[in-house]
Amino acid sequence: MARDHDGDAKGAGSDHSEKATETAGSPSRKRGRTVRDTIERRAIVGLAVATIALLLGIFYYPVATVFIDSVLVDGRWTGRVFISILQDQFYFGEPARFLAGEPIASVIEGVLSPDRRLGVIGFTAYQAALSTVASVALGLPAAYLLARYEFPGRRTLRSLTILPFVLPSIMVGVGFVATFGQNGTLNAVLGALGLGEVKLLFTLEAVVIAHAFYNAPLVARVTTAAWESVDASAVETARSLGASPFRAFRDVVAPQLYPSVLMGAALTFVFTFSTFPIVLALGGFRLATVEVFVYRLIRDLEYAEAAALALIELGISLGLLYAYLRYEAKHTVRSRGIRPLPRRPLRPPSLSVRELLPRMGLAVYALVALAVFIAPIASMLVASFSGPEGLTLANYQFLIDRQTTGASFQVQPWDAVRNSLLFGVASLAVALPMGVVVAVLTTRDYRGRKLVDAVAMAPLAVSGIVVGLGLLRGLVFGVEVGGSRFAVGGGLAIVAAHAVAGYPFVVRTVAPGLESIDHTLVESARALGAPRARALLDIELPLVWPAVIAGAAFAFAISIGEFSATIVLASGTNQFTMPIAIERFIGRRLGPATAMGVVLLVVTSASFLLIDRLGGDDVGF
Amino acid sequence: MNRTGPPAVELDGVTRHYGETTAVEDLSLAVREGEFFTLVGPSGCGKTTTLRLIAGFEDPTQGEVRFGGTSVTGVPPEDRDVGVVFQNYALFPHMTVGENIAYGLSFTDPPGGGSAEARVQELLELVDLGGMADRDPDTLSGGQQQRVAMARALAPGPDVLLLDEPMSALDAKLRERLRVQVREIQQELGITTIYVTHDQEEALAVSDRVAVMRDGTPEQVAPPRTIYREPATEFVATFVGDNNVLSGAVTAVRSTDAADADSGQTIADVTVDSATLSVALGADSDPTSAVSPGDRLTFCVRPERLAVDADRNPLTATVTSAEFLGETTRVHLDWEGRELLLRAEDPPTDTVAVGFAPTDAHIVDRRS
Repeated sequence: MARDHDGDAKGAGSDHSEKATETAGSPSRKRGRTVRDTIERRAIVGLAVATIALLLGIFYYPVATVFIDSVLVDGRWTGRVFISILQDQFYFGEPARFLAGEPIASVIEGVLSPDRRLGVIGFTAYQAALSTVASVALGLPAAYLLARYEFPGRRTLRSLTILPFVLPSIMVGVGFVATFGQNGTLNAVLGALGLGEVKLLFTLEAVVIAHAFYNAPLVARVTTAAWESVDASAVETARSLGASPFRAFRDVVAPQLYPSVLMGAALTFVFTFSTFPIVLALGGFRLATVEVFVYRLIRDLEYAEAAALALIELGISLGLLYAYLRYEAKHTVRSRGIRPLPRRPLRPPSLSVRELLPRMGLAVYALVALAVFIAPIASMLVASFSGPEGLTLANYQFLIDRQTTGASFQVQPWDAVRNSLLFGVASLAVALPMGVVVAVLTTRDYRGRKLVDAVAMAPLAVSGIVVGLGLLRGLVFGVEVGGSRFAVGGGLAIVAAHAVAGYPFVVRTVAPGLESIDHTLVESARALGAPRARALLDIELPLVWPAVIAGAAFAFAISIGEFSATIVLASGTNQFTMPIAIERFIGRRLGPATAMGVVLLVVTSASFLLIDRLGGDDVGF
Repeated sequence: MNRTGPPAVELDGVTRHYGETTAVEDLSLAVREGEFFTLVGPSGCGKTTTLRLIAGFEDPTQGEVRFGGTSVTGVPPEDRDVGVVFQNYALFPHMTVGENIAYGLSFTDPPGGGSAEARVQELLELVDLGGMADRDPDTLSGGQQQRVAMARALAPGPDVLLLDEPMSALDAKLRERLRVQVREIQQELGITTIYVTHDQEEALAVSDRVAVMRDGTPEQVAPPRTIYREPATEFVATFVGDNNVLSGAVTAVRSTDAADADSGQTIADVTVDSATLSVALGADSDPTSAVSPGDRLTFCVRPERLAVDADRNPLTATVTSAEFLGETTRVHLDWEGRELLLRAEDPPTDTVAVGFAPTDAHIVDRRS
């Protein structure tokens, strides 16, 4: 970076007598404390208190309401709802019989018998496990490609691994329906090749592939990061000590990758365990997971059972996350990638077997990846322009007709776009400051920091359904405060739910930036007279600005694509968003749903570009 | 230097723990107004922690820090009127050189009553970086960045300047040149300066007084010459410069007569292995700590004070190796299984008789 290295020689040690300045003994800056001073001093504490109060109001209170719903039935405290779920074979499969008091031997017999019942929870765990395996299998080759090979577009591809995370899940669901459906692209391709039709829709396979679409990039992302931080000199040392390339990989590189692979797998399992929109779109009720049943129970107004089931699910998710975090704390190796492993060119330098074999493997992988990642989006685009007579705009015409002539109880496309943008902007306005404050709070040293971290990050583990249900029961239905009823409109509740879903992503993008800022920068600012809050404003925030913008884009995208909480809160109101509109359409005809999906894709991409532009230079996507 | 008022900076029984480890232990120091005071010691001796306690980045576990006689307990760094220069300079990367220097002026009026712009210009001139105000810090060389950091720290007119190893990222030549410049600026402004370094040579070169620290406490606080010539402890003797440390039992204590070469001295004869060496106890030695036969004395002789072919205290040693340093050669000798160091312009080879005058020995420890 240093463009100029001269200048040290000149004048150093020269005579300063003529430039004598008045410094020592000059009036010092010890001033009386003005009001502004006091505000600056208290600013961080004030913001922290406000943020935590908000979090209590829009997250903890609603979730607590859900909990109370499940144990307070008809005005009486009871564990009956929980117990009946735990003892119900419909939910818990064979183990439920044990919890119901049957002798252990007959339960084991039941588990081992071929017609054993998994129950909803068992099935949910089973599909999550399969999805995890598929995601790891699909993610690791991508990590290998990204970490070890150099090719044009590598950086772009690496950035794109973040994309599935922010793509609206119901839209991806529509894309997979368009791919796997009876008249979908897969069957069209197979038909053109003279092969028979396959029926994948409403099968476990389709759900698992869709989950891999979401989570394999996550696995790839964390593994690539770990691979890039492996120090080349460690590998070179192993080689010089006599290890073969394979042994060096097994003994030096692989152990540094395991924790990240496990992290990817653990997160994938937790995410897919609480899957909802994908299964709703691809599985139907025959493949229903816990979350789908919670949603159905809410629709049937069975709030106590819905709450209990959601809490059991939450308990399992949190238990898994906790076990994983315990493992991570024990096994994280802080390796400093002083010199990362050099990347090989993707074009083979010679035609030897050793050079060709891994690249041929990657070529096969590329085909699979193309099918999994590109097909659903491409299929959705194709399907939106297709009709029984070939290329057509009929699906878009349907949206326009619905807007102009639709009945008031029907979903109006433009209203959905408008609501989505409105909720997106409003929830961004809440999530961004919240996320930045939490990032500041979790990157500073003080007693109880771990607790604040856990309290602030819990929303990441709680499913949208629970948040939505809590907001519905707690705030929308109204709260008694001092004798007067206090209720929040559906729209505001949706904004709150989106803010809760979005702000952890702001924290996750901003906090690492803050963490990596040299503490002496802040200390220098303070020694120069800046109160702590000013140092944050003048030094830290400008330095992490790209991360703040990235976090904002995340929060906005999460809001635009949010489905679980929104569908709970938007039911029976006119506050539906684009994802809800897609869900309404998909139940009847695929065409309009794919057209709406394309609208959602266009609006999301446009917003991303806009935020990117507003943020100024280089935002790390 | 004002030696009558209260010390500019004072640490009184300051202890700082980090969990189980103790960084600073019951430390008391007083830095005078306008003094260039250096904390020197090996890494982990607590010198940087001491500086951070003074700046207010850390709070003492026990004890008190006082500025001009007033306790600064609970006073945040921004209200302490200190200027700090860090080892990595910590220039704000998103600000120009000028904005960096001006930053402290957003919280106070420029000393002397001029405008902030004028103050920035004045400071840039002071550190010989005139015309660099609009440059980005990362376009400057290490030495230039260091001077910008100095200018930034000085701009608000602090009472105390704190320098935390500000040269250690620079190459040796530049370091020597810059330390002269830092000293000149300090003299010109008359600002109380506390300087932290692990480089004992640097400490001796620039300071009014030096505190040699070890394990969180100062072993000796004295002007550089005293530190070098009269180290208080064996640690100081060996940490500051090269030294030969010998110890043995006192066999006799005698006064010298006027005819003797060591006129007016009290001499102790110390048996070190097979040799009996004469060591001057010093003219002003405290009578209450008088040395008597049977005591164990530890004393040191600087390598440059060992003379080749000397007849006083002769030690016959063999040369084991020699390092050519340019000006002189550092010769490693073996004397009865001990290593001795000798500085010589013409290094001897093979076997050599070295010796020293009794007054060139300095006693660092006495046990009765």
